[in-house]
Amino acid sequence: MSVQSPAPQKKPWFLALLSSLDGIFVYLTAGISTREFRAMLRGDAPGRPNTRLTPHADAFLLHIKPSYYHESVTRFTHTYRLGLLSTYLFLFETITGIILMIWYAPTPERAYVDMIRLLNNVPFGQLMRDLHRIGAELMVGIVTLHMVRTYLTGSYKPPREFTWLTGVLLLVITLFLSFSGYLLPWDQLAFWAVTIGTSMAEAVPPVFVGEIINLLARGAPDIGASGLLRFYLLHVLFLPLLLILFFFVHYYKVVLYGISLPAQEEEVGEDTANRVPANRRVYYLPEVLLDEGTFLLAVTAIITAVTVFLFQAPLEHIANPQQTPFHTVAPWYFYWLQGLLKIADKMWAGVIIPGVLLVMLMAIPYLDRNPSRRGADRRVATISGIVAGVLMIILSWMGTPAYAVQGAPALEVVEKLMPEEKVGISRKIGYKHIPLGTYDTRELITTDDAEFAKLLDEFVHLLEVWEEKAPDFNDPWGLLTVTQDQANLKLLRWEITWISNAGTEEYFKQDYWLHKDSYYWEQYGRKKFGVPEFLEMQNGG
Amino acid sequence: MRSLYVRSFGSKLIWGLVSSFVIVVCVGLTAQTEETRMEIQTKNWEGRGIENGAVIFANNCATCHGQQGQGLQGVAPALNSRYFFTRRLGDVGQDGVMTLSNYVYLTVAAGRPSKDNSQWANRMVPWSSQFGGPLRGDQVVDVVAYVMNFEETALQQTASEDPFQPFLDVAKPPEFQNIGISADAEWTPVQLAVTSVLPMGDRDPDYLFGALACSGCHKLDEPQAPSSMGESGPNFGTIHELGTYRPEAAADPAAYLKESIVSPDAFRVEGYDDAMPDDFASRMTEEEIDRLVQWLLDPNRVIHTRDAEGNIIDE
Ligand code: HEM
Repeated sequence: MSVQSPAPQKKPWFLALLSSLDGIFVYLTAGISTREFRAMLRGDAPGRPNTRLTPHADAFLLHIKPSYYHESVTRFTHTYRLGLLSTYLFLFETITGIILMIWYAPTPERAYVDMIRLLNNVPFGQLMRDLHRIGAELMVGIVTLHMVRTYLTGSYKPPREFTWLTGVLLLVITLFLSFSGYLLPWDQLAFWAVTIGTSMAEAVPPVFVGEIINLLARGAPDIGASGLLRFYLLHVLFLPLLLILFFFVHYYKVVLYGISLPAQEEEVGEDTANRVPANRRVYYLPEVLLDEGTFLLAVTAIITAVTVFLFQAPLEHIANPQQTPFHTVAPWYFYWLQGLLKIADKMWAGVIIPGVLLVMLMAIPYLDRNPSRRGADRRVATISGIVAGVLMIILSWMGTPAYAVQGAPALEVVEKLMPEEKVGISRKIGYKHIPLGTYDTRELITTDDAEFAKLLDEFVHLLEVWEEKAPDFNDPWGLLTVTQDQANLKLLRWEITWISNAGTEEYFKQDYWLHKDSYYWEQYGRKKFGVPEFLEMQNGG
Repeated sequence: MRSLYVRSFGSKLIWGLVSSFVIVVCVGLTAQTEETRMEIQTKNWEGRGIENGAVIFANNCATCHGQQGQGLQGVAPALNSRYFFTRRLGDVGQDGVMTLSNYVYLTVAAGRPSKDNSQWANRMVPWSSQFGGPLRGDQVVDVVAYVMNFEETALQQTASEDPFQPFLDVAKPPEFQNIGISADAEWTPVQLAVTSVLPMGDRDPDYLFGALACSGCHKLDEPQAPSSMGESGPNFGTIHELGTYRPEAAADPAAYLKESIVSPDAFRVEGYDDAMPDDFASRMTEEEIDRLVQWLLDPNRVIHTRDAEGNIIDE
């Protein structure tokens, strides 16, 4: 009998399947086998050679990330993950923004109507809009905080001067990105904020250059169809592309030099961020990835919860170039500019001071020649930073209507009770709590409705407050006349009469209509989860 | 090495799970209320549109169509009118062709091009900026929503409450315009005469001023001043001093006024088109015109309150 050669060993089918699945896994993870993955989950140290580094070489997205970090810079309290968060928020805005683009056309005829359509007819449309809005406001804040952190840790010092400089550009782009988006809903809030904003450009000397800049931004002497289109293109195309470009320049430098170590861990003047001893390495896979992933997931959870329960994006009346609102305000991150405008002229506040500030901000690494990044050695830098911050806050406060803006007292009174935009007390208590009748503040008014009684008390109270506060507002009295103008539509006529210093009787009148079904944007949020509450509102009245 | 990197895997995984759970719950809660939310938002924006329309109506339309949409005799038809909501579309031959709301939209947006043989003192101008008017598209939409919202009250009107005035643009003569509303037979609107109810001859000036719709364009309580000329026609608040501000009238204000009433083209005041009807000579006796002129020039002129038939009720 001849010796038979052994039959080729046939693998059982399930093992064959497993090994091909393993192959797919390695393929998808760009080099991590299932066994290595399990080892990662168990927390085992990497083997030799370290296959966990393969994805950093093979995968595009991971090649941008360093394969390991110095243990000290992975501590939350060193970077507070603010750079990461800025990047994430940009991504977040891109995704929510593209979804919003589906229902938006940038023309004055469509823009505002599209906002309403989004709220009325698109499931999750309101949520998407609120998320995009909160993300935008947050991004401005987070990028600023990221700058503050790198300033306080002296991370802009050599060799990271250029990282800082591109960072400043990123901040400017972020601000413009947010500001350009501000116009898109095409409501009064948007229109007038952007009108003020672009009018600052007009102050750029010489006159014709200012005019040209203004014209380029607005597309016409006033903001209209062309201006809206330009802002839209800036917002969805040009500025995001610019931001992506500078982000990669910025981040390339971050990886190139490594994130700066906490100052006390190295000698003054030294930079050892890139020389990480083997025993202090924290690999990106899996530790840092998991860390960043859970952090971003937690942030997303917070943003979502806040949006669903507390936050709502404003939507005022449709933009009306013929009607300047009672108070025009810039977006909060430009309050400081508005504050400056109240104490200096357009040229100084709108061009020279911001320009100098920007140049100085970019030049900080080149101006600050102190080689030490340690807090104790940088008292002057730290204190001037804090002073600058406090100044910004004060200027911002001065930019709000609370400072040095006062309308006519009668207008202020009515604006509190029933403002042009926003809810105010009257719309908050709503249609059904405002009974028909004539109510005179000089008489003792009795009403069964406790909410309405509060409104009337406030009317009386505000008149007293303004009588005391305003010199030319003597013996004021008010009249509120509520009539049924149409079915489900009440007319609230506010009348105020007072005696001027000249002894003449003065009179102010303001009519506002209130529909049973209407509620203003500040009221949306509560209602998102309190549906029974808005059903009650619908049925009442 | 793990010990360097303080936090444990387990706690991070839990954080991740909790966060995912929060996101799912939030989105789930939203999903559950989306239907209702959209319904309420839709009603909200309809309501807001009517609110906006009310402001536009008060500022642009109420002078002719009345604050409550009750119309003004000889100037503009009633909109808060049962006739308007039930019959008008049929009378202009548009039943089944378009909706009343579109009919209103078209009229507001494009106006009424011709006023030849019109019973109304003024032509309705185009209001939409598309046709050179002062309102933006959204404002036209809103004011139409407001007008349409008269429906509920209009349909509750009884015969004597409907401020309807027969339209002369309808092929049927006025007395037939409400025939066919027999579905609700009790509704037979009072037939207000097109121009005036009292017979020609010895009608009082204050009555004529309203009945012939002078009041639609000339405000008696607003002065004539550079800052307040009057929107559709010159204000008459200071007309007793006519000679001081109208040079042509200085010599004989009464003659100037009479001439202006009888043939409006005689003196043109700058800034107004030829909106004033030129048939007053045939609608008043000469004596009535003279008394009207005297009344206008009298700074202490009286205006009586009258009922629908024109009888004085304030004394
Ligand atoms: C859209 C805006 C920005 C994005 C997406 C971004 C992103 C990042 C990221 C991911 C890092 C590394 C992680 C960290 O240090 O937290 C970083 C580091 C850095 N960023 Fe930014 N950044 C932005 C704006 C800024 C601004 C406004 C500044 C300062 C004016 C700035 C200055 C720096 C500096 C100096 C570092 C190095 C930090 C170090 O080595 O310790 N960045 N940035």
